Amino acid sequence: VKTLSRRTMLRGALGGAAVALALPTLEAMLSPRSAEAAVLPPIFGLFYWANGMPWHKGHGPEQEAAGYPDLWTPPTTGQGYTPSELLTPLAPYAPSVVTGLTPKTAVPSDPPGQEDGHMRGFMVAMTGDRIRPEGFDHPSHTLTALRPSLDQYVAKHPDFYGKEKPFYNSLVLGVSGARFHDYGHWNAISYNGPDSLNLPVMDPLQLYGMLFSVPTNVDLVKRRAALLDAVKEDAKDLQKRLGAADRARIDAHLTHLSEIQHRLELTGIACQAPAVPVINEDILAKTDIMADLLAHALACGLSRVFSFMLTSPATTQVFGNLGAVNDMHSTCHAGEWELVRKITTYQMQAFATLLGKLQATTDPTGTSLLDRALVFATSEYGEGWKHSVSEMGCLMAGKCNGAIRPNVHVREPDGNFSKAHVTMLRALGLPTPSFGFNGGETSEQFSDILVSA
Amino acid sequence: MKSQGIVARSLARSLAAPLLLALVTGGAACIGNLGDPAPLDPEETTTVPETPAAYEPADPVLPRLTTLQYRSTLLQLFGPNVPLLPTEADTSPYLFESIGAASTTLSELGVEQYEQAAEAATQYVFSDPLRRAVFVGCEPVAAPGDACTAQFLARFGRKALRRPLAPAELERWSNVALGLAQPDVWEGLRLATAGLLQSPHFLYRVELGEPDPEDAARRVLTGYEMASRLSFFLWNTAPDDALLDAAQAGELGNQDGIGKHAARLLADSRAGDTIQRYFAQYLDLGRLEGVTRNPATYPLFTATTNASMRREVELLVDHIVTQGGDARTIFSTQHTFVNSDLASLYGVEAPGADVATFVPVDLPEDGPRAGLLTLGAFLTMNAHETQTSPTARGKYVRERVLCQVVQPPPPNIDANLEPPSDGTPKTVRELLEEHRKNPSCAGCHSFIDPPGFLFENFDSIGAYRTKLPGDLPVDATGDLDGVALDGARDLAELLTTDKRVGRCMVTQLYRHALSRLDATGEKPALDDLEAAFAETGYDFRALLLELVTHEAFRTVRASEAL
Repeated sequence: VKTLSRRTMLRGALGGAAVALALPTLEAMLSPRSAEAAVLPPIFGLFYWANGMPWHKGHGPEQEAAGYPDLWTPPTTGQGYTPSELLTPLAPYAPSVVTGLTPKTAVPSDPPGQEDGHMRGFMVAMTGDRIRPEGFDHPSHTLTALRPSLDQYVAKHPDFYGKEKPFYNSLVLGVSGARFHDYGHWNAISYNGPDSLNLPVMDPLQLYGMLFSVPTNVDLVKRRAALLDAVKEDAKDLQKRLGAADRARIDAHLTHLSEIQHRLELTGIACQAPAVPVINEDILAKTDIMADLLAHALACGLSRVFSFMLTSPATTQVFGNLGAVNDMHSTCHAGEWELVRKITTYQMQAFATLLGKLQATTDPTGTSLLDRALVFATSEYGEGWKHSVSEMGCLMAGKCNGAIRPNVHVREPDGNFSKAHVTMLRALGLPTPSFGFNGGETSEQFSDILVSA
Repeated sequence: MKSQGIVARSLARSLAAPLLLALVTGGAACIGNLGDPAPLDPEETTTVPETPAAYEPADPVLPRLTTLQYRSTLLQLFGPNVPLLPTEADTSPYLFESIGAASTTLSELGVEQYEQAAEAATQYVFSDPLRRAVFVGCEPVAAPGDACTAQFLARFGRKALRRPLAPAELERWSNVALGLAQPDVWEGLRLATAGLLQSPHFLYRVELGEPDPEDAARRVLTGYEMASRLSFFLWNTAPDDALLDAAQAGELGNQDGIGKHAARLLADSRAGDTIQRYFAQYLDLGRLEGVTRNPATYPLFTATTNASMRREVELLVDHIVTQGGDARTIFSTQHTFVNSDLASLYGVEAPGADVATFVPVDLPEDGPRAGLLTLGAFLTMNAHETQTSPTARGKYVRERVLCQVVQPPPPNIDANLEPPSDGTPKTVRELLEEHRKNPSCAGCHSFIDPPGFLFENFDSIGAYRTKLPGDLPVDATGDLDGVALDGARDLAELLTTDKRVGRCMVTQLYRHALSRLDATGEKPALDDLEAAFAETGYDFRALLLELVTHEAFRTVRASEAL
C-alpha cells in the first residue's frame, strides 16, 4: 500500500484550519520539527467471533466426560509457545494468548437468567461488567450493557485521542448478518452504555462511501453542515421538557450531530482509496474486503479504534460450506463437536485474514499497522454446548508500538478476565489503576505480555 | 436506583415497592409476572404489592419512529418514488419494536443516516423544477418575511412534526431557508425541509401532554399528540390531513371523538398491516426466521415451507381479527389456510391450493389439529432438527400464551437430552424424566414440560405421527396446572376458557401500545381493558378501540421536567 501524499490529504478540503485540526498526527508527522517522533500513536481493535471454542475438560466435568481433546490451549507457555491446532492459522502473526480466564462478576438472581453464558460472558469480555439487571429479560433475550464496550471505552477515553480529532472516533464493522433470530440486541457487540448500541456496518459499499467518498460539491456539504446548527437548536427546545433518561438520549443525539457536522466540515479529506469492493457474501471473502477497507482507513488516519464483529453472539450463521446443516448456535447445542471444531478453525482463519491485512499495510511513516495495533480477540464464553464461561478466549495480536510482547502464552486457570483488560488498557497508555466491576475488579496485569514503560 | 431506559424506569418504580412472586407449588421460584420483579432481598417476599384502586398514569415516553414508521412517513410526505435510504435497525426488547424505539439511544451512525436520508429525500423533490413547484405550491423569493416560504414551511412542518409550528419555530426555519439560500432560494427551502426531517420533533414522537386542569398529578395529551399516537399505533405512519384537522378542531380531546376517528383508521387496510406486524411480535414469529430442516430427513419440508407456515399464521390472524369473533380462538379454531406445502404436511384436501395460493380449510373435526398451537409455525420453531422439544413448546405456552415468566436453566447444567449409553431407545419424554431427577431442574421442568408433552404427536416440522423414532409409541399426555390432558386438542379446548389467555392478549397489546412495560399503577387500566375485552366477546378490534379511548392511552404522569 502506497502512503498517501500531503497533496492528496488536502485536496477538496474546506480550509487549512479545519484540516490542521483534523489531522494533528499527520501534521506532526509531516512537519520537519517532529521528524524524530516518527511513530504514530497506537491503534486499538476488537475482533469478535461467536460461540467460543470446542469444549474440553477445562470447561467442566460434563464436557470432560464427552472425551474431546483441548484444541485451543497451546501445549507450552511463555514466549515462542507452540501453537495449538485452533491457533495455528494465526501463527504467522504471533499473537499473545491468555488461557483459563473466566468472568468474576456477581450474578444477581433477579431478573433470572443473567448467568446465561452468551449474556454474562459476552458482557464481561466486552465491558468488564455484568449485564445491566434493569431491563434484562431472558425470555425475549433482551439485554443491555451497564457501560461501554472496550472499543468505545478506549475511543472515548480522554487520554487516547487527546487533542487529536479523528474523522471517526471508532469504526464499527461486521461481516456476518446472521443474528439470534430477530432479537435486535444480538446483531451488535459495540455499546456506548445502557440501551445504546453501535450496530456494525456490514455493507462494504456503505463502508467504502463512509471512508473514501469525496464530494464533488464542497459548497453543498458546507451548507449541510451549517444546517445542523438549526437542528441542534430544535433539539435544545425539546430537551428542557424531558425526564432524565430521555434527556440523556437527546443529549447523545446532539453529540452525534456535532460529530457529523465535524465530519461534513472535513469531508474533503481524501485517502489513498482501494478499489471499489465487489460484493461477496462468503465469510472469508467478505472479511478480506472489509479488512482491506479498514486497513486503508487506519493507514490514512481516519480513526485509531475499530471493532470487527465476524459473527454475532449466539450466531445463527449456517456454515454450510463446512458441512453444517443447522445454524451455529444450534450446532453447538446439539453437541456436534467436530463441526464446532471446523467452524472455530474457520473463524480463526478469518481473524488471520484481518491480521494479515494489518500486517501488510503500512502507515505514512512506513510502519506496519500491526506493529502499531493491539487487536483484542474474544468470544462470548468458553464453549457453546453447555454455555460454560470457563476457559474463555482471549487473544492479543499486534505489538501496540512495543507495549505488547507478541507470541506469549500465559496460562492462568480460573483467572479474572479483566486482567486482560487492565493489560491492554495500560499497553495503550491509558491510566488504569484497576478495571472490572461488580465483583470483577482487578488491578493486576499480565506482566509477561505487557512491556513496562 | 439510577436507570436510563424507559423500560428500566418502569422496572425501577416497581422495585421501589416490595413485591410477591407468584410461586409454583413445590416452592421453586420458577415463575413470575413480567414487570413484577422479585424483591432483591428474599426476606421481603411476604409483603404484598400495593396496587392502587384507581389508574395512575406512568411517565411519558419518547419513542423514535421505528424504521417502518420512518419509511412510511417519508412516503406519505414525498410520494411513492422518494428514495428511502437505510436507517438504524430497530431492537425489540420484551418482543416489541415499540419498546426498543422508546428505550434505545440512537447511535452516531444512526443520526448520520438520518442526515443522509433527509438529504436524499429533499434532493429528489427539489432537484426537479416541476416536482418542487408542485410540492411547494408557490413561488418563493429569497427575502426576509417571504410569504411563500412561510406558507410552505407552515404546511410541510405541520405534516412532518404532526402539529403546527409555533410562531418562533416558523420564524427560525424561515430564517434557515433564507440563510442557506445559495445558489438560489430553492436550495434554502430544500435545506429547511431537510432540517425539519432531522429535527428530534420529527424523529421522535413528542407526546408529553399538557396540564390537566382537574388533576395536577397528570398531563393529558393534546389533540395533535393524540393524532400522532393514534396514527402510529394503528397505521404505523404519521397522521393524515383528516386526523390533523380533527386535532385542530378539538375532536381528539374526548372519548367519543377519539373513538370515532380511531374507527376510521381501523377500517383502513393500513390498520390490517399494523395488526399483522403486532401479532408477529406478540407471537414471537421471528424465531421461525432461518429455521431449516434436512430434506433427507424431512421430505415434506420444502424450500418454501418455512415461509408458508408464517403466511398461514398471518392469514389466520387476519381471519380472526377481521371476522370480529373471539380472538382467543386463534388457539383453538378448526379453521386455517393452507397452500400445497401445508396441505401435504397436514394431510388435508385443499382444492385450488398450490405453492403460491392459500385456500381456507376446516381441519377435520376428529383430527389432531385445532388452533395455532397445532400448526406448522409453532411446532417447528419450538423443536430441534432431530427431536421435538416439549420444553420449548411448553415454555411458549407459558410465556407467550399465558404471559408467565419461566426461569431459564441454571448455569453449567446439561440442558441436552443424552441417549442412554447402553443404546436402548428412549422417548424425549423418558429422557426428560431422567433429566428431572436433578432437583435443580425439576422445579421448572415440572412446570414447563407437562403442557409441552401434549404436542408429542407432532414431529419437528409439525407432521402428525403415531410412532416415535425407534418405533416407540407416542404418549401425548400431560397437564396444565394440574388439569390432566391428552394431546393438543385437549389443551386447545382448555385454553378457550382460561382467563389468562385474554389477559395476556391485553397485557401484550398494552405494552406494545404504550412502548414500555406496564407499571404497577396501571394495573387498574389493564383490569378495565380485560373486562371490556370479555364484554365484547374478546373481539380484538373492539379491544383496540377500548385501549385507544382509555385514559391510559392519553394521560401521562406530571413531572417537574415538564
